[in-house]
Amino acid sequence: MAEIGDIANEFIRDEIDEFLEKENERNHIVELFAQTRPLLQDIAAALIDGAHEEVDQLTQQALSEGIEALEIMDDGLIAGMGIVGIKFRDNFIFVPEVLACARAMKAGMAHIEPILSDSGVEPIGTVVMGTVKGDLHDIGKNLCIMMLRGAGFVVHDLGVDTSEDEFIEAIEEHGAKLLGMSALLTTTMPNMGKTIEAFIDEDLRDDIKIMVGGAPVTPEFAEDMGADGYGKDALSCVELAKELLSE
Amino acid sequence: MSEHPPSMNSRERVLAALNRQPVDRTPLCNPTSVATVELMDLVDAPFPDANRKPELMARLAATGYTELGFDTIMPVFSIIQESAALGCKIQWEQKDNWPTVRMNEPIWTSPDDINVPADLCTHPDTRCVTDAIKILRKEYGDEVAVIGKTMGPWSLGYHCFGVEPFLLMSLDDPGKTKLCLDRMKEITVEYGLAQIEAGADALTLPDHATGDLVSGEYYERYLRDLHIEMAERLPVPIILHICGRTVDRMEYIAQTGMAAFHFDSKNTPMESMEIVKERIALVGNINNPETLFSKGPEVVREEVYRNLDAGVQLVGPECAIPLQTSIENLKEIPRAVRDWHAGYDR
Repeated sequence: MAEIGDIANEFIRDEIDEFLEKENERNHIVELFAQTRPLLQDIAAALIDGAHEEVDQLTQQALSEGIEALEIMDDGLIAGMGIVGIKFRDNFIFVPEVLACARAMKAGMAHIEPILSDSGVEPIGTVVMGTVKGDLHDIGKNLCIMMLRGAGFVVHDLGVDTSEDEFIEAIEEHGAKLLGMSALLTTTMPNMGKTIEAFIDEDLRDDIKIMVGGAPVTPEFAEDMGADGYGKDALSCVELAKELLSE
Repeated sequence: MSEHPPSMNSRERVLAALNRQPVDRTPLCNPTSVATVELMDLVDAPFPDANRKPELMARLAATGYTELGFDTIMPVFSIIQESAALGCKIQWEQKDNWPTVRMNEPIWTSPDDINVPADLCTHPDTRCVTDAIKILRKEYGDEVAVIGKTMGPWSLGYHCFGVEPFLLMSLDDPGKTKLCLDRMKEITVEYGLAQIEAGADALTLPDHATGDLVSGEYYERYLRDLHIEMAERLPVPIILHICGRTVDRMEYIAQTGMAAFHFDSKNTPMESMEIVKERIALVGNINNPETLFSKGPEVVREEVYRNLDAGVQLVGPECAIPLQTSIENLKEIPRAVRDWHAGYDR
């Protein structure tokens, strides 16, 4: 079993010591980073620190040193985002800090994405995502999309203020088996239920899985609305998506 | 509440509670909106017109008092009136949806962009509110508390800079962010004063530095002192409204000198009362999506009792309610408050 001292990057070691409180998560992250190249640890550290220019430069450096794009994404960017997700879930950081990390991830992905799409790697699933009708908030949804794409999903983003018809059309057009809906307002949350009813009315409900999330949404509300799953944050959204598609 | 005044009208009751003075019973307060589609139909005052025409705005707002039995009337259903006057693009929507600001089309990017337009309080969408307040004051005199609403600088920041750019700015450049907030604060004060002049008894001041987005430390760093200043400059009781989990900032909120804090059901009444103690009154916190929208009157009653048992000074929904909420559930709030005071079903 790997020890924290096996991790070369001091910043990552400090982050693990300070913020990872659950033993199983800590062991998993230590194991992961202990096997990661030092340069990719540096990318993860810069991402956790929200240093987008540094991530941009280090990602280019890693590629120029011949490291595979997929390895940079998995062991550098996504591994870093894993620690960010845990810190956010446990209230050590809040949305501004996560946005800075997301900006850093985007800076790295700008170099990775074109290489991956050229390589023809098979996606693990197709998801349609959108914020419900009447709601123009999209930060949470965008973070979910970024994590889903990073995890290998193809995501069709319908943006904000998405009507029931737009969700249905997108599902049909892209042949997606998974729909994700977000709402930030208690006043617009009921539109999740309306959308689910629209899928029932169109006789499409059994063809897809539906996941929901957003600050005021709870697992109970998701169940009452007839959703298949609830994701508390961007990190759990990825796990939920994998789980729903494997059912 | 051992020294019950013999009898109070709604306005007296609300103002006494906001000033943390004795009341004859706990007032029913809606610092945000209790408008519903059913109420719109009842008085023929539907959205979006009820957000833009003073007569309709006043008529729909009055139902909170006349039909539901609250002690307050709140004519400002949305959070976008002054943003419309500032030049933000507004999606006015239809009867069954709220008007919203198109925050993905921000109008400002730097402190130098911020200006208080000369027509801030005379623009049709801001004047609609002041005119509605005048109508309500004339119609209901001093029998019911009329509450206005002026958006705080943090919320205006979301509207005018966009949520994501504003939050990133707060991290990248705290000095610039503070300068922006300091300039936007003048909008809050000017529009608040206009509503007071029109006859508002109190003002709700929504400033969405919510626990879902930023830390309690952020509230202390960016907003506490501004809120202290606004409480001093606006000469009526101010009800601060922040959604979401806020216990980590209630200590700072209690230091602002505001009359009341409108709190969300993500915070239990008991833990919230223990933090703020006697320094600020609490208003709330009946859950909207799960209780008022999805459940029945018995669950509403349980939540009202939980607030009253904890000593919450003014009872009402936690935030603006979904437009499809049933009137029956809303009417249960005043029924439960009266029954609790009568010792019924205890």
